[in-house]
Amino acid sequence: MKAILLVATGMMFVAGVDAAPSTQVAWTPATLDFVEKGDAGRGKALSAPCAGCHDGTGTNPSLSGQLPTYLYRQLQDYKNGNRQDPTTIMNTMASALRDQDMADLAAWYGQQAPMRGAGGASDATGIAGRGEGRRMEPPCSSCHGGAGQGEKVDTPRLAGQSAAYLEATLLAYKSGQRANDIYSRMRLIAAKLSDAEIRQLADYYSRLK
Amino acid sequence: MSRLEIDELERKWLSVSLAMIGLFVGAIVVTAVSQGVHPPSHVETIDSASLHLSQEFAEDKLGVQPTPLADGSLQVRLVAGRYGFYPREIEVPAGRRIVFRMASMDVLHGAHIPMTNMSTMIVPGYVSEVVSVFPKPGEYPMLCNEYCGLGHDHMWSKVTVIAQENWREPATGGKQP
Repeated sequence: MKAILLVATGMMFVAGVDAAPSTQVAWTPATLDFVEKGDAGRGKALSAPCAGCHDGTGTNPSLSGQLPTYLYRQLQDYKNGNRQDPTTIMNTMASALRDQDMADLAAWYGQQAPMRGAGGASDATGIAGRGEGRRMEPPCSSCHGGAGQGEKVDTPRLAGQSAAYLEATLLAYKSGQRANDIYSRMRLIAAKLSDAEIRQLADYYSRLK
Repeated sequence: MSRLEIDELERKWLSVSLAMIGLFVGAIVVTAVSQGVHPPSHVETIDSASLHLSQEFAEDKLGVQPTPLADGSLQVRLVAGRYGFYPREIEVPAGRRIVFRMASMDVLHGAHIPMTNMSTMIVPGYVSEVVSVFPKPGEYPMLCNEYCGLGHDHMWSKVTVIAQENWREPATGGKQP
């Protein structure tokens, strides 16, 4: 027990002294250009193993029509260990990819018709559209777009995404398990949401068309 | 053949207004030269896209810095990004010289703490440095005063000014609450 405590304290100390950045990706003009020039044709061929899990069911996110910049950065973060998949599958998959493969895959998925929800969305929390000043919560739509379509540079599309995935992601940000958001932006936002609000927001965005 | 005709009264007012323009421009030039007022120079540049990978604005180096500057003033490092100033909450002592160093990670922002003289523009690609002393303890908002996007009206962070006797130096810089 003592040994575990010692190791844990030691690790905290190391983390406090020189914490690694939350992502190694910086959207310099060169990186943006590189991702933009991804070869969708090559990406299609590479995407065969992805489709097994990313089939639009369960807690795995749908990738169709997602922003290429977002997909590219997530793959980099999985490879560099900045984003940890609890099942480690994504870390293993991404570690085999080269930068060019990531840009190609991102281009292929970015070209697909975007995922669409069933409709009937209503924002029960009021946070998606209006935010809440008292809790310093900006509205989701200010970054993710009025229709949840995602915005430049790499704010992901949420509309039509699997509700189970959205809920799990917000909970992971809330607990700090997911920590690849620069300057803790999503962690700070998710930490102030109740679990019930997270469920309502996940439901809202999954229903958007 | 028509001659340009200027009424005597018009001529008088014309010379009065020209004299006024000359007076004001002259006043600006004289004060600028005698008081040493000039546009900002020695500007510090920084790559806004890779702020989080830089030495100074790395995620664990933000906030009130644990080591005071040589003259005893405290340094505070902040990153402005849509939509907040990071760290979102900082604590500074009253009556002490605070040197704010700020950079934008995306677009043009402004930082302003109402009821104080702390105000600056934060231009992407540049480091903004502004010095202020807060005489009165209390909670202050730090607002963005340059339109930066749809969440602009939600872009504010909290600055708590603490009475000098209750102030304790932070052990580490950049911990977000």
